[in-house]
Amino acid sequence: MSGFLGYLLQRIVGVMVTVLFVAITIFLMVRVLPGDPARVIAGVLASEQDVERIRAQLGLDQPLPVQAGIFLRDLVQGDLGVSARTSSPVVEEIGARLPATLALAAAGMLMAIAIGVPLGAWAAARAGSLGDVLVSTLVLFGISLPVYWLGLMLIILFSIRLRWLPAAGAEGPLSLILPAVTLAAFSVAFIARITRSSMLEVLRQDYVRTAHAKGVRRTTVEWRHALRNALPPVVTVIGLQFGELLGGAILTETVFGWPGLGRLLVDSIFARDYPMVQGLVIVFAAMFAIVNLLVDLTYERIDPRVRYG
Amino acid sequence: MRRSWLAPVLVLVALFAGTATAQETFRIAIGVDPDTLDPAQSTTTTVDNVMDYMAETLVGIDEEGALVPQLATSWSTSADGLALDIELRQGVVFHDGTPFDANAVVWTFERLLDPEVRVPRRGPLTVIESVEATGEHAVRLNLANPAPYLMGALSQTTNAILPPTVVDVEGNSYENVTRIVGTGPYTFVGRDLGERITVDRFDGYWGEIPYYERVIFQIVPEATTRESLLLAGQVDLIILPPASDIPALEANPRTEVVLGPSDRTIFIVINTTDPVLQDKRVRQALNYAVDKEAIVQGILFGAADVMDAPMAESLFGYAPIGAYPYDPERARELLAEAGVEPGELSLDFMSPTGRYVQDFPASQAIANFLRDVGIEAQVRTMDWPSYVGTMLQPPESNETQLHLLGWAPSYLDAAQQMEQFDSSQHPPGGLATSFYLNEEVDRLIDEAGQEIDETRRAQLYAEASELIWDDAPWIFLWVQRFPMVHASDVTNISGLPNEKFYAIYARPVE
Repeated sequence: MSGFLGYLLQRIVGVMVTVLFVAITIFLMVRVLPGDPARVIAGVLASEQDVERIRAQLGLDQPLPVQAGIFLRDLVQGDLGVSARTSSPVVEEIGARLPATLALAAAGMLMAIAIGVPLGAWAAARAGSLGDVLVSTLVLFGISLPVYWLGLMLIILFSIRLRWLPAAGAEGPLSLILPAVTLAAFSVAFIARITRSSMLEVLRQDYVRTAHAKGVRRTTVEWRHALRNALPPVVTVIGLQFGELLGGAILTETVFGWPGLGRLLVDSIFARDYPMVQGLVIVFAAMFAIVNLLVDLTYERIDPRVRYG
Repeated sequence: MRRSWLAPVLVLVALFAGTATAQETFRIAIGVDPDTLDPAQSTTTTVDNVMDYMAETLVGIDEEGALVPQLATSWSTSADGLALDIELRQGVVFHDGTPFDANAVVWTFERLLDPEVRVPRRGPLTVIESVEATGEHAVRLNLANPAPYLMGALSQTTNAILPPTVVDVEGNSYENVTRIVGTGPYTFVGRDLGERITVDRFDGYWGEIPYYERVIFQIVPEATTRESLLLAGQVDLIILPPASDIPALEANPRTEVVLGPSDRTIFIVINTTDPVLQDKRVRQALNYAVDKEAIVQGILFGAADVMDAPMAESLFGYAPIGAYPYDPERARELLAEAGVEPGELSLDFMSPTGRYVQDFPASQAIANFLRDVGIEAQVRTMDWPSYVGTMLQPPESNETQLHLLGWAPSYLDAAQQMEQFDSSQHPPGGLATSFYLNEEVDRLIDEAGQEIDETRRAQLYAEASELIWDDAPWIFLWVQRFPMVHASDVTNISGLPNEKFYAIYARPVE
C-alpha cells in the first residue's frame, strides 16, 4: 500500500506502539508509589486477614512478571481491569466520565480558538499600537491567573451575585459555561500569543509586501494570505493544548464539581487504585496521540508544501 | 414574523420548567465521590450517610448517641452472653416488595461474614459464629464469646439489611451491590458517576414519610464551591464548609450553621518507644505546653471542644477525667525534671493536610507552642496513603515521634476507642500507633470487652481512662465538631454524633 493510506496506517501503528510503551511505563510507575494499595483500599479499620484477602483479590500477591503478563494480555483484548476502589470495570468508570471531559475540553478549546486566533492576528497586524499592548496585557493575565481563583471569582459573580449560572455540577447546558471559560482562559492567552508571533513572522515576508504593493486590500492580505500561512505553528499549539485539556482539567473539575477524568485520576492515585490509574493514563496517552495525529493530518490541508505518502 | 416572540418565550419556559419541581427536591452537596454504594463494603461515613436514606440497620442511634430500635424492636442477651436474640419489626417491606423478615436478616449476616465479600468493617462481626431464624420475625446470633458492644456495632451502616432479591437487580452481584434495595424511606433512582446520586421517596415506608419527594446528593469536592452553591440558592444543605467562613455563615441570615456533635477525637500521637518520649513527664509537659482552647477558637473557629478524657462524650464508657490546661511554666518544669534542656530536644512532627478540620494549620500552631517551651518541631506532611504507611511501621523501623491523628469509632462504644491503648493493637497488626504499653490498662480493657453488666463495663473503661490520661501517650487535643450549613428556609436538620447529618425529615420553614 502506498500514498496517503500507507502513511495513515504507519501513523496508526505508531499510535499503538506509543500507547503500549506508556502502558508498560505506568504499570511500573504506580508500583513505585509508597503505600500498600491493599491496606489503603481496605481502610484503616480492616483486619490483617481482610487486607490479605483484598491483596489476593487485586492480584497483588503475584510476582511482578505475572502481574505484568495479566495486565498486557487483558490490555490487548481491550480489558482495562476492575477498579480496586469501586469494584466496577475500569472501562465503565472511564466511559461514564469521558463525555463530560470531552464536552469541557471541546467547549474550552472552541472558545480559545474563536477568541485567541483572531485576537492574536489582530494584534500582530497592529504591532506596537495601543491595541497590541492591550492584547499583550490580556495575554499576560490569561496565562498568570490561577485557575482556582478565576473559577471561584466567576462563581461569585455569575452564580451568587447574578444567579445566572450554576456554581457546580454538570446538569444542563448552562453548567458548561463557567468551567469552559475558566479552562479556556489559559489557552486563549497561549493561542493568541502564538498566533501573534507567527503572524508577525509572516507579515515580514516578501510575498506579503508584494501583495500590499499589488494593491490587494489590507484585510484580504491579513486574513487570506497572512493568517493562512501563519497557521501551522498555531495548529500545533492547538493540538497540544487540546491534549492537555483532555487530561489536565483537574483544577477546573475540582472547583466546579465537574465529573471528568482528571478528578477521577487524582482520586484513584490517592486511593492507590492501580488498575484505574493505569487505565486512565493509557486512555489519556491514546487520546493525546490521536489528537496529534489529526493535527498532523491537517497540515496537508493548510500547507500546500506538505504532502503525505 | 408575527410569532417571533414565541421562540424566546418557549425557551424561557423550558429553562424554568427545569426548576418547577424544585420545591419537591432537597439538594445536598457532599465532598466525596462514593467508592461504593454497597453497605457491606462501606468505609466512609459520608457515603454511609447517603446509604442510610435507602437501607436500614437493626438499630439506629439518636442525637445523644443512644441506641434506638429500627428494624429490630427488642433484643436480649443470654445469661452466658453467647446468644443474642433479636425481635424484628413486622409490617415492613423492601423497595421491591419483598417482605422484611428473619430470612433477609440471616441472608444479610451470612453475606457480611462471607470471606468472598469485601467487608472492610467486618471486625466487630467476627465474634458471630452463626445466625439463625428463630421465628418469622426473630433471629438469634450465636457468639464465640460474650460481646457487649455487638448490638451497638450493628447500628453501623455496614450492617444494613438487604433482601436476597437484591442480587437479581441489573448491575448487582452477590459480591458487589451497585443499586441498593432496602427498607429505607427513599429508593435508589440513579447515579451519575462523579456527579450526583438521586433517590426518590418510598411511599411504602414503615415509618414516618418524609416531606421531600426527591433528594439529590451532589458531589462537590471543593469546600468553597459547596459554600457557593448554598449562597447561590442551588443547594439546601452542605457539609464541611471552609472552616474560616464559619463565622460569616453564622452571621448570614440566609444560612444556618449546625456544629454537629461528633465522636472524632483529634490528638497528637506520641511514640512512647522513643528514648526521650518514654518519660511520662515529657509527655505530660507536651500536654501542658499547648493552648488547645486558643487553637480551637483561633484556628478551628469554634468547631471543636477540648478533650477532657481519652474519648468523646458520646461514647458509651465515657467519663470526664480531667484537663491539661495551658501552662507553659509547668511544661518547662516537667521537662527540666526529666533532664531535657531547652533547645536540646528536636522532634519529628507529621501531620496530614485536609483530612481533618484545619489539621495542618493546627499542627503548625502546636509546633509553635512547643517551640515556646524549648522543643524544636518541624511539621511535615504527605498524602494520606503514604501517611498511613509511615505510621503503621513496626516499632523497629518506625521513625515517627509526633503525628496528628483523628479517631472516630464507627459505633459509639469505648471498646473501639480503647483499641488505641491496647498493646495487642500495636502496628503492624493494629492501629495503636503510640505503642502505648500499660498492663493494667490492657487488663481493664480485656475485662470490659467481656463484661455484660453495663454499669460495671462503664466503670472499667473509666478506670482505664484515668490511667491513660495520666500516662499521656497522646497530646490530648479536641473533639472535632461536624460542621454543616443549610439554607434558613429549611428546618429540622441536625447532626448525629457519628459525624452524620440527619436531614431525612427536613422540611421548608412554615
